[in-house]
Amino acid sequence: MKRLTLTFLALFIVKSPAFATIDWESKGMQIAGEIIANPAGFFYDFQQDLESTTPLPPGKSFGIQTGLFPTTIPMTYVNGSGKLRLHGEGRLAPGVPQVDLIGGYWDMLAAKMATKDSQTIDSAKFNGYYMGAIVSSSVSPRVRTFWGYKHSVLAAKLKFKPGEEPDFLGTKVSSFDTGFKDDFLIAGIETPKGVSKLWSMQLNYGLKTQTFSSKVSWYGKYFELGLNIFPEGVLVFHPVWNFHLNF
Amino acid sequence: MKKILLSVFLTAGLAGRLCAAVAEDSKIFTPFFDMTMTEAGYLPSEGNIFSGANINTQVGLLSKVTQKDHIFGLYNFNYSGAGFAPQDSKQFTDRSMGHNFTIEYRRALGDKFRVRPGIAFGHDYSRSGANEAWKNGLYNMDTAGYQLAGDYMFDTEKNGIMTLTYLGKSIKFPNYTDLLREFMDPANTAAANGGLQDQNLKQVSLRSGWNNFFGGVTYTQQDYKNQKVVANTGIYGDTKQKDKTTALDFGFHHKLWVFEIYPVVSYTMHRSNQNFMRYKFLGATSTDLLNGSSDVSFIAKNYDYNETTFSVPLDLNITGKWAVGGAISMTRRAYTDRPKRDENNNYISGTEQTNLMSTLTGSIRKRINDVAMVRLFYSLVVASSNCKFEKYMPYNYTGNSFGLSYQLSY
Repeated sequence: MKRLTLTFLALFIVKSPAFATIDWESKGMQIAGEIIANPAGFFYDFQQDLESTTPLPPGKSFGIQTGLFPTTIPMTYVNGSGKLRLHGEGRLAPGVPQVDLIGGYWDMLAAKMATKDSQTIDSAKFNGYYMGAIVSSSVSPRVRTFWGYKHSVLAAKLKFKPGEEPDFLGTKVSSFDTGFKDDFLIAGIETPKGVSKLWSMQLNYGLKTQTFSSKVSWYGKYFELGLNIFPEGVLVFHPVWNFHLNF
Repeated sequence: MKKILLSVFLTAGLAGRLCAAVAEDSKIFTPFFDMTMTEAGYLPSEGNIFSGANINTQVGLLSKVTQKDHIFGLYNFNYSGAGFAPQDSKQFTDRSMGHNFTIEYRRALGDKFRVRPGIAFGHDYSRSGANEAWKNGLYNMDTAGYQLAGDYMFDTEKNGIMTLTYLGKSIKFPNYTDLLREFMDPANTAAANGGLQDQNLKQVSLRSGWNNFFGGVTYTQQDYKNQKVVANTGIYGDTKQKDKTTALDFGFHHKLWVFEIYPVVSYTMHRSNQNFMRYKFLGATSTDLLNGSSDVSFIAKNYDYNETTFSVPLDLNITGKWAVGGAISMTRRAYTDRPKRDENNNYISGTEQTNLMSTLTGSIRKRINDVAMVRLFYSLVVASSNCKFEKYMPYNYTGNSFGLSYQLSY
């Protein structure tokens, strides 16, 4: 299979006349400009990477999670999330779905260190939290759909020392004090990939800001691998690696 | 305009999907879930690399009130991101996002007939490369409407069905403004902002499916509420704009040994009574509007075209999980009256503009289980046209795109 895959890729990723040169410098400028235009949006995409918005596995009462990549490394988002099951599927009556509470908090370690040690940064504060609920219901032995709500908040404040303001694209930036706050609706579907391994796909949609993302995740007993996609974000692809335990 | 037609045809296509949601005998509620997501990088022959996504999420619930009476509710989220598109449709960087709701009542009349009245409403956002806020999109639109559909079921073993659907919709563009009119007469905001794109849409379609073959004919009429037709004097007359579109399509999805093929072919005839005034620059004037080389030219029936599209995707199932695929697709639009243009925006009389966009795709597909799959793909796009004026919209280019897509449906 691997050989076939490589052969196939070789066939199609040949240098064709249609290939143009990629202007990386221009692309970098564009990305920097988008970050400056909306820093809170840029940092919030990383918050979504650590937000645990899938339901607890059937039979589990609570769970904890911490985001490893790209949150703790390299963004230094020290973070913790928790889930608590309020109602197991079918417990009260047949057909009544599972209900989980979700929530979490993060704080950027680099911002604290920069405030303490940096010669140019006067103060920096980057943190955020989220909370919400997930309702999940099995629609067949192999498929579970889930629906949810989350309230997400992010604060991003940065102030440079007088005379040390950096120059971004020809403009001196002395400080920014911004944030992000929105209420999201979540819709997703989960299906088993193997023994104790699950595959899910979900859509998160912010009602006020029209921010949205698509999360594709594979998770087992300890780890979650994911690919979060932010079509309107600065960095469209976020590969994600999270650690979790469910009890 | 393209967006409306696309959403209309999606609605027509969705009718088939809606029919596919069938209540399970043992359940009062049967969920319907379909989520597809594609993310790709695009590298055009001119311009820089960019990325774009397409997300379509449908969540629905079919409620069996009685054996004969069902209610089906569906929510559809659709995002269409930056990407290559057929000429004269949209810029690479244009994006759109829609929320649409449909509620349908189904009543069985015997074993072979069923009626499906329903209502639909939605809100669509648009966004250009300028990254304006979604709520400020020039082409944001609100839709509200109703449908009446009748199904005739035959040859149940091979899922034979014939559906006649009537759809009526009111479409409003709250943000739309005619930028040219605003520039020419800034004081007269009523002329520029007065719901010029607002319209009533009527659609009749007759579709059939049998043994994984499907096809149909769809007739759409768009009656503009305020937009008047521009006359060959360059002045708007009293006649309101009216567009009519007739589309025929046919396709099938069949498996033959390890091959899986699902081609679709369609032919669309679009006719509008609207004409076009081409200004070479703001403030341009001309005394000879019928001369295609003037600074201001009048083009009658500028928007009339015939369009042929076909796509032939083929998957070769190597194992139960893995498949390699190839697809070729083509969109050819021939304008019936619009002449082609040279590099200087001059119309060449005695000619007609023709656009062609061809796409060759190779892919690897992995089926994760019976409800989920992932596909890695590469596409080569070749767009050509005899229109050589490309200051605002590319007509002749090649491009590469590469990306991955996921699908989960239940």
